[in-house]
Order: sequence, then structure tokens, then C-alpha cells
Amino acid sequence: MLLRLTWLLLRKDLRVAARSREVFGFMLLFSLLCVVVFAFGFLREGEAAAEQVPGVLWVTLLFSGTVGVLRLFAAEEEGGTLQLVQRTLAGLHPLLLSKALLQLLFSGVTMLLLLPVVLVFFDAALTRPSLTLAALALGLVGQAMLGALVGALLVHVRLREVLLPLVLYPLLAPLLIAGVRLTVLAQADAPPEALQGWLLLMAGYDALLIAVAPWLHARVVEP
Amino acid sequence: MARSSSPRPTGFLALLSVASLLVFAALYCVAFVAQPDVTLGIVQKIFYFHVSAAIAMMLCLSCGSLLSLVDLIAPSDRVDALAQSAIETGLAFAVMVLTSGPLWARKSWGAWWTWEPRLTLTLMLLLLAAAVLGIRGMAADGTGRKIAAALASLAAPVAYLIHVAVEKWGGTHPMVLKGGGIQSPGMQLTFRVAMFAILLFATTLWTLRFRVLRLEQRILAIRLEFSAQDVRRSRQGGPT
Repeated sequence: MLLRLTWLLLRKDLRVAARSREVFGFMLLFSLLCVVVFAFGFLREGEAAAEQVPGVLWVTLLFSGTVGVLRLFAAEEEGGTLQLVQRTLAGLHPLLLSKALLQLLFSGVTMLLLLPVVLVFFDAALTRPSLTLAALALGLVGQAMLGALVGALLVHVRLREVLLPLVLYPLLAPLLIAGVRLTVLAQADAPPEALQGWLLLMAGYDALLIAVAPWLHARVVEP
Repeated sequence: MARSSSPRPTGFLALLSVASLLVFAALYCVAFVAQPDVTLGIVQKIFYFHVSAAIAMMLCLSCGSLLSLVDLIAPSDRVDALAQSAIETGLAFAVMVLTSGPLWARKSWGAWWTWEPRLTLTLMLLLLAAAVLGIRGMAADGTGRKIAAALASLAAPVAYLIHVAVEKWGGTHPMVLKGGGIQSPGMQLTFRVAMFAILLFATTLWTLRFRVLRLEQRILAIRLEFSAQDVRRSRQGGPT
């Protein structure tokens, strides 16, 4: 039931996104701009610094992810249907899960398109692509879950656009630190023992978020 | 109604006086009882208030997070006021830690700021607490409280993970308490007095804020009661 409702909601959101084509396109464009701006910032004598790739990659995904999170509940809010969706569904979990999956889908595709661009712009190559991709996937799962939760909590808050990053970034700090470290270690071809702790930390945080976020969401939103 | 905000706050005034006296005693000890550190010199004396403030901050913020969770499970105005005042007090002490820390770091490590694990964690805690309080202030009354409670209860496990992450990231760092920084009895006495003074001072601030918040809740309740009475009266008057 949960999965079915989640899938129905996700399909609805995907259909809306496919028709309006706004959020995803802007996310992509914004992430591209981020990379360009970082390249300007880190340029040394006309050459981009390859060692900045992990940082540029993660911070770009963090920033462009925020664009997506800010628009996650926009359709419901503008149409005034959020309360209806919250009341008709059997529980609030499908709503949160579908939004998290939508965010994950958007940020995942952005990441896959962005990665080659960053590598080309910064003239770098991935030493161990599977490890970097695994770290990015773990990071995006956490970002999507937390983003859906914070996005849902802040729907009716004034100055939401300003406040959301203020909450989201400190809460995402463990994933950002671990993700950047993992990417750096992967680039340096570090031994597996050095990586294990970081991977465990990211997986643990993701598991915590998946377990706790739906409960917190329900506690806050329920009347 | 709120008992703790009775018009004669004798208990609170007693607490305030004892805390003030102890803070002065701690200042006296720091200045005259504790010997200057052999290697670090006089700047080491920041330690007494710095470490005490850090412990007070951790205690306040942990209590705030835990109480927020309690308020989320079983909503109660009293617990909510306790949680909010705890987070506010914790934020004040975080500012104190992050002001005294760099002053000391400049002398002992040669830099105002390093991305040392505890510094990083304190900064992140400050940002989290400020964000939680900011959202509470921005949202409408009923929702802001719940949102802040949810975020504050999520903040405790996240703070632990940040701690783990920055420890792994930062590597080695100076450990004052384990490194044997305080050996002489004068220093130990001073540290104990300062710690006690700061913790009592934190309790005073916390109590003060708690009382103010409870009074605010009471005023709100009275206002609601009055407007409800108004509505009833106008209904009884019948349509004119």
C-alpha cells in the first residue's frame, strides 16, 4: 500500500515535471553555472586546479540540490492542494517518500550529467569511478531524504528560501565532510581500510534519516 | 497556570545571588590563586572559563534537544519553554566559547582559527542552534514550535555524527584535560570553582529565560481567553 501510494504520487509529480519542464532544467543550468563560477574562483594562471574537483563536485551538488528542494512542494502549495493530499492519504509517509524519490531522481540525473562536465572543465580523470559514484549516491540519498523533510516542514514558513539552506547545510555537514574525504581518497587511490569508516558514516547517517524523517514529518504535520 | 512565574521570585533571586558571588570568586581564583602556566603563560587562564563554558554549552544544547524530543512525543507548554530556553542559553555559551577559543588559540597554536575537530563542532552547533531558533521565530506560533522541536531533536544525533566526522577529518588535536595541563592544586581548585560558577550561571540564565517564556505563554492564554469571551458576548447580544 505504502509503495503503491508512493509510486502513484511520484508518477504524478514526474508527469507535472515533464509537462512544465521548469525545475529540472533550472537545476541543471544552475549546477553548470556553479561549476563555471568555481572554475573562475580556483583558476590559477589560466589553468583550472584538478585537485579542487572533489570540493567543486560536492558543493555544486549541494547548491543545485537546494534549488530542487525549494521547489519540491511548490506545485501543491501554489495549487493549495497540500492539505488535501495530506488528509486523503493513508498516512503521510507516501507523500514524504515520493518527494524524496523525486529529489533523488533529479539530483541523481544532475550528478550523472555534471560529472563529465566537471572532469572536462578541470582537466581531471576519476581514479576509481565506482567508489566516487558510490559516495555520491550515498550523499544524494541523504540529501534527498533530509531535503524532503525540511522542505515539508518549512512549506508555510516565511522567508523559506533563506531559512532552508540555513537548516539544511549544517544538518548535511556529516555527509559533505565524509563525501568530500571519500572522493579525495578515491582520487588518491587510498587503501580500502581508509575508506571503510567514511562509507560507514555515510550509510549510517542515511539509515538514520530514512528511519527518523518520516516519523518527525508525521509528528509535525499531523494536527 | 505556571507556578514557577509567581510574582515573588525568591528562589530565582537566591540562585542569581549565589551564581554572581561564585562568578566573582572564580574571577578571584583565576587572577590570584591559579599559577600562570609554565609553557603557555598567562593566556592559559582563559582555559578556566573557556572549558567551563564549553561544558555548559554542551549540557544546555543536549538538554534542549532531548526536551524537544519529549515535547514532540508528548506536547506540553512547560517542556516546550524549557527546551527553547535551553537552546537559547546554549547558543549564548556557544558564542562565549567561540570568542574565548580563538583568543587562546592565537597564543598557543599561532592561529586565530584552525579547523580542529572541537572548534568545527562548536561552530556547527552554533549554526544549528541559531537556525532552529530562527525558524521558530519566523514560523507562525503553532507550527514554528513543532518545526523547531523536530529539527532540534534531529540535531543531537547529527551533532554526534559531525563530531565523528570532524575527528576523523582533523586527526590529532591537543587534549588539555588528558594531556595533564592542570597539575598544581591552585589550578585544580580554580578550575573547580570556575566550572561550578559557570554551570550555576548557565542555570540562572536558563531559569530566567524559562520564566520569561512561561509568562509569555500565560499572556497569550489570557489574550485568547479574552477574545473568546468577546466572541461569546457578541453572540449573546444577538444579531442587531
